[in-house]
Amino acid sequence: MCGIVGYNGFRKADTVIIDCLKRLEYRGYDSVGIATVDKKLNIFKEVGEISKLENRVPSFESNIAVGHTRWATQGGVTRTNAHPHIDCKDAIAVVHNGIIENFRQLRETLEKEGHKFISDTDTEVLAHLIEEKYDKKKKNLEDAVLSAVKKVKGSYAIVVACKDEPDKLVGARKESPLVIGVGDNENFIASDIPAFLKYTNRVIYLDDDEICTVTKNSIKVYDKNKKKIDKKEKLIDWDVKDAEKSGFPHFMLKEIYEQPDVIHQVLRGRVSEVDRDITFNEEVENLLKNGVDSIHIVACGTSFYAGFIGKYIIEELTDIPVSVDLSSEYRYFGYKNQGSLVICITQSGETADTLGALREAKNAGCKTLVVTNVIGSTATRLSDAYILTQSGPEIGVAATKTFTSQILVLLLLALKIGIIKNKIGRDEIHEYIQQLRELPRKVRDVLDKNNEILKTAKQLKNAKSVFFIGRGVNYPLSLEGALKLKEISYIHAEGFAAGELKHGPFALLTKNTPVVAITSKDNTYDKIITNIGEVKARGPKVIAIAEENDTEIEKHADIVLRYPTNSNILSPIPITVILQLLAYHIADLRGCSIDKPRNLAKSVTVE
Amino acid sequence: MKAVILAAGEGKRLRPFTETMPKVMLPVANKPILEHVFDALKNTGINDVILVVGYKKEVIMEHFKEYNDIKITYVIQDKQLGTAHALLQAKKQIKDSSFVVIPGDNIIDQKSIIKLMNDKSKYSLLIKEHPHPSKYGVVFLEKDKLQRIVEKPPEEIGKFISTGIYKLPKTIFAEVEKQASEGIYSLSAVIQNLIDEGKIINTIQTDAWMDIVYPWDLITVNEAMIHNTPSTTAGRIEKNTVIKGKVSIGKDTKIYSGCYIVGPVIIGESCEIGPNVCIFPSTTIGNNSVVHPFSEIQNSIIMDDVHIGSNSFVTQSIIAKGSRIGNNFSSIIGGKGVEIEGEFKKLKNLGVMIGEDCTVGSHVVMDPGVIIGRKCKITSMKRIRENIPSNTEVM
Repeated sequence: MCGIVGYNGFRKADTVIIDCLKRLEYRGYDSVGIATVDKKLNIFKEVGEISKLENRVPSFESNIAVGHTRWATQGGVTRTNAHPHIDCKDAIAVVHNGIIENFRQLRETLEKEGHKFISDTDTEVLAHLIEEKYDKKKKNLEDAVLSAVKKVKGSYAIVVACKDEPDKLVGARKESPLVIGVGDNENFIASDIPAFLKYTNRVIYLDDDEICTVTKNSIKVYDKNKKKIDKKEKLIDWDVKDAEKSGFPHFMLKEIYEQPDVIHQVLRGRVSEVDRDITFNEEVENLLKNGVDSIHIVACGTSFYAGFIGKYIIEELTDIPVSVDLSSEYRYFGYKNQGSLVICITQSGETADTLGALREAKNAGCKTLVVTNVIGSTATRLSDAYILTQSGPEIGVAATKTFTSQILVLLLLALKIGIIKNKIGRDEIHEYIQQLRELPRKVRDVLDKNNEILKTAKQLKNAKSVFFIGRGVNYPLSLEGALKLKEISYIHAEGFAAGELKHGPFALLTKNTPVVAITSKDNTYDKIITNIGEVKARGPKVIAIAEENDTEIEKHADIVLRYPTNSNILSPIPITVILQLLAYHIADLRGCSIDKPRNLAKSVTVE
Repeated sequence: MKAVILAAGEGKRLRPFTETMPKVMLPVANKPILEHVFDALKNTGINDVILVVGYKKEVIMEHFKEYNDIKITYVIQDKQLGTAHALLQAKKQIKDSSFVVIPGDNIIDQKSIIKLMNDKSKYSLLIKEHPHPSKYGVVFLEKDKLQRIVEKPPEEIGKFISTGIYKLPKTIFAEVEKQASEGIYSLSAVIQNLIDEGKIINTIQTDAWMDIVYPWDLITVNEAMIHNTPSTTAGRIEKNTVIKGKVSIGKDTKIYSGCYIVGPVIIGESCEIGPNVCIFPSTTIGNNSVVHPFSEIQNSIIMDDVHIGSNSFVTQSIIAKGSRIGNNFSSIIGGKGVEIEGEFKKLKNLGVMIGEDCTVGSHVVMDPGVIIGRKCKITSMKRIRENIPSNTEVM
């Protein structure tokens, strides 16, 4: 989604803002803009890459500026529609992320009052609304912003700069993330942390309906009645280095290779082989200790598939019924059972659909647990308890390491519930923990097969359509495999439950539709072999993903990619890594823009 | 000044440990050799490193994203033809008139690097006095000026060896390119030709340099380097644990009751040790490893993700990543005669060396100096007397 950033300090502001914007690139964008403040506002906008803008912006001796990467929602991709947007007097500049739902009515009213609009965006109304109440003699920028945001419906995170008050930036948020970066003699406001992580790791999160005034050496936060609020700083333990590519050709490949380490991070301090126990933070333990009778998992996109895999794992280990819903559906239509534990999965903790669902679940009186990668994010503050996926920032738009860490967190959760409900004996737990400790090695084994997977990718790169099939937990893995492939290689791909092929999808199968079959040596092994046979009879090539010691499979499949056997409960993680590498290499061979696929954005903060 | 670090080689003589990672990533005092090289560059004024990678490059790239304030630029050597060829890959990145080149697989200290950087001559080389020079490039000098480099002479001649650490002028690239076209890919050979052409190469002595050629060298170098690590204690240490001397314990590691640890010892993050485990000098244990009750470990390198069962005795040994050692394991300590490159040598005081991802059953006993390859499976109640190649199952 749109990235916003504001800087107020001692450095050259245009350079800092461009640097910060580059670190927001991964969110996806189609145009960029910057405004520096000296005696007037200097505004530069560009359609396309940040580097294009960088080359055009002359050097300014200004220490205060705002910047924006736009991901078009309202109004086409044009230079005029890029942010910042300004008022009629060229005095106020606004950058905005979110959607103003009532902007048409507001715009009509403002136009009647004589305001001139130049863009098609919803954001521009904010600039004019602020202008309405702004009095440069009173220097009342905060009041003007407060009165403006009170009039809008929808979601927003904004940063406002004003030429008549060139010492401050004003920020405000509702349902879109905004975070203040606290430095020494300099401060930042941005839509997410990586923007300014190079400069500071001290942050203050703004909550809904709050506004802030940021000068270079002070930060004040107010509620909507302009009552001052005391906010605590948080320390972020991410490393800047995590947000750099370090020799790898793409962030996605780097993040795939980081997974063994990420698994270590997820397990850290949570598993104990000697004590034969899994431990979470106090809030989570309290939530679970009173017993859980049913679970509802709610998420979007890749997180939804992680949840879907979680369903199979939790049901098997705990005998608790689990239902999985898409956030955008659950929010409006889902059955909200008060006795259920609702688990929301969101990498960023800011996904608008999932936050909406989380609020609805809370309002209905459900217990809520969030699985997220970002400490302090909105989701962590709304829920009763949260578990962090400890993956560090993920820059590639296609989720990789956060997906495996989400699965792993759900697995730990299942084990914990199993222990509490006495469904899993201590000996069994001991065995699972030993296997968990081996998991990073198993993933390394798969990474070692990178060349083999590349060879397979070469055979698939010209396909028009690819099917992924599997049974049990391999079914949601098939969905994820298909999602990864389509989102970065633009090849049409579908995942199916293997048993469903004959109920329809077969009609689409031609000999030019390669099929990736994910198999496990469980009690459905014979069935999937039969399914592979059915596929082969229609001519397509079959690529099987199979256990290391499965000697039967090569008789049935054309190509076999192997994953190390551990236990069926843990196998989704090594299998995922194969699917990721396969999608990566196919996309790379096709010359696709892997880290920034077309039309996609990293954290989707609009509905 | 920039430094070019050569980290593309495999280190074949260190197999099985280098089957999954390049030599520069082998752990010494619980961090990769390459990280020690970076440590030596701290505060020398070198803040820009060109890292030449090749064999298993992803392992390096994943680990070294950034190092303090040193900027890392990766260049790739696809085929490992030789050190001069490796250096050539960095040509585009070198803009200053002179730079430093350092092999990434040796231990060196900051003082020697500073001495080299401050040396006035255009070409300078760090050399070391060595008791067994014939394994290396032997150098012959006249008043500190290099006269001749002889790579691995068949007999013990000379007493100084080349560390391969040079300060060189940018013009060297033209020379390297010219000689590469004639099929000369080794930096020593290029330097020898420069001497023959009349160029003057100054030499500076260093004591700190250490090399690891064979697996057992790791134990010696580990022992030497472990003393230089500052001790820090994190994690959770239960009551009735005795810790003496310099002992480092990483984050989220648990030391259970009744353990007796005598430093220097380094234990990584997320480990579980005990109850009642004895760890003696100079042992290092990597991250995410578990040592079960009543085991004793001394002077050994235990890498990441290792599992050591109850009642086991591990001494003068190396256990590589991900290996699982069953209960009542015992490494017999003693001497072993080995044939290295046609030469017979008697090694003393040696335990076992176990490669990555091995599974060893319970009550297994191994003879001194035994090397077990990667991914071997050894069933219970076996006595292992000989080396075992990778991917072998011992029934």
